[in-house]
Amino acid sequence: MNVLALLAMAAPVESPGGGARSIAAARAGDLAAFESLMRQHERLVLVTAARLLGKLEDAQDASQEVFLRLYRNLGKIDAVENLPGWLYRVTVNVCHDITRKRPASVPVDELPELAATGADPQQSAARAERRRALQMSLRFLSEKERAAMVLRDLEGLSTAEVARALASSEATVRSQISKARIKVRAFMERYFRSQL
Amino acid sequence: MNCQEWEERIALYAAGDGGATDTGETERHIAGCAGCQVFWSAMKQSLEWLREAHQEEIAPARYAAVRARVMAQLESGRAPWWKQVWVCGLGIAAVAAVVVLIAVRPHAESPRAPMVMPAAVVASAADAGHGAGSRPGVDRRGALWAHLPHRPAETILVKLETDNPDVVIYWIAEKKGD
Repeated sequence: MNVLALLAMAAPVESPGGGARSIAAARAGDLAAFESLMRQHERLVLVTAARLLGKLEDAQDASQEVFLRLYRNLGKIDAVENLPGWLYRVTVNVCHDITRKRPASVPVDELPELAATGADPQQSAARAERRRALQMSLRFLSEKERAAMVLRDLEGLSTAEVARALASSEATVRSQISKARIKVRAFMERYFRSQL
Repeated sequence: MNCQEWEERIALYAAGDGGATDTGETERHIAGCAGCQVFWSAMKQSLEWLREAHQEEIAPARYAAVRARVMAQLESGRAPWWKQVWVCGLGIAAVAAVVVLIAVRPHAESPRAPMVMPAAVVASAADAGHGAGSRPGVDRRGALWAHLPHRPAETILVKLETDNPDVVIYWIAEKKGD
């Protein structure tokens, strides 16, 4: 019974080539196919936006804009393999636009929901504090340093993929990543001088 | 090279971005420098914490909300069926009107086709023609054409684009005089 219930709740698994079919159908005006395409890539877009903006409501606005741009530009995406790179690039651009339009802030109280990971309240409190400090440290990076660090260290893209997403050279990205790491480490050292 | 200059290389090395040549040199430097060992260790720790801090999942309701907003916006951009039918009907009517206008329009070179005129205008023009002693047997339309000054007509083509990209209305009109 439970197994059946879980199976029924599971998201539909995309078959190989399903992404390409979804793009083709969405291009032809099939909104259901476009919704399926969104489901396949929504984590990539929303999580990246949340990491770049630090605020879920802003990240949701960014995701909405990214998917609307995707719908308008479906004709320009020639292969499904290129879609994640395209989405990363547009997500970074949309987040930059949002950052420029909205006043700079350090939204430490509006971070993504924390999963209950530790039973020990002391450990959980320490983890939450660390998390808050890390979020704050990302706010103090330049837009490009933050984007490079988020894509490389949190999304796990290679330096070459980050360079493509940011329309930059690999050498520039490596420099941005190293500077960002040094700044984050320095911030954390100041914040938790006794712990590091 | 002092230790500050090594920091950028150690920052890359800490997450495996050093490159083959740099990696060997950085490892050798760290092995012989206590200060850089501390820096490297702290760098690894902060990167580990950074990844750990971002492992949490976003609630599914957040994704669903984004999807709903996008779909609502896309669906609102599509005209309802009755609006599409209305726009198509308007387009067909406009095209029919243009065809009728072209069919009844007089041509300069060809013999004049009958012109559709308001009854009052036709009647007054015909009366004026009889009063001036026009030839008997000429019908009312002929009398009208005989008395109107001839002006070369300039054709104007007006293109009207509707909300529906499939419907474009062309309006052909004549510009008379100045």
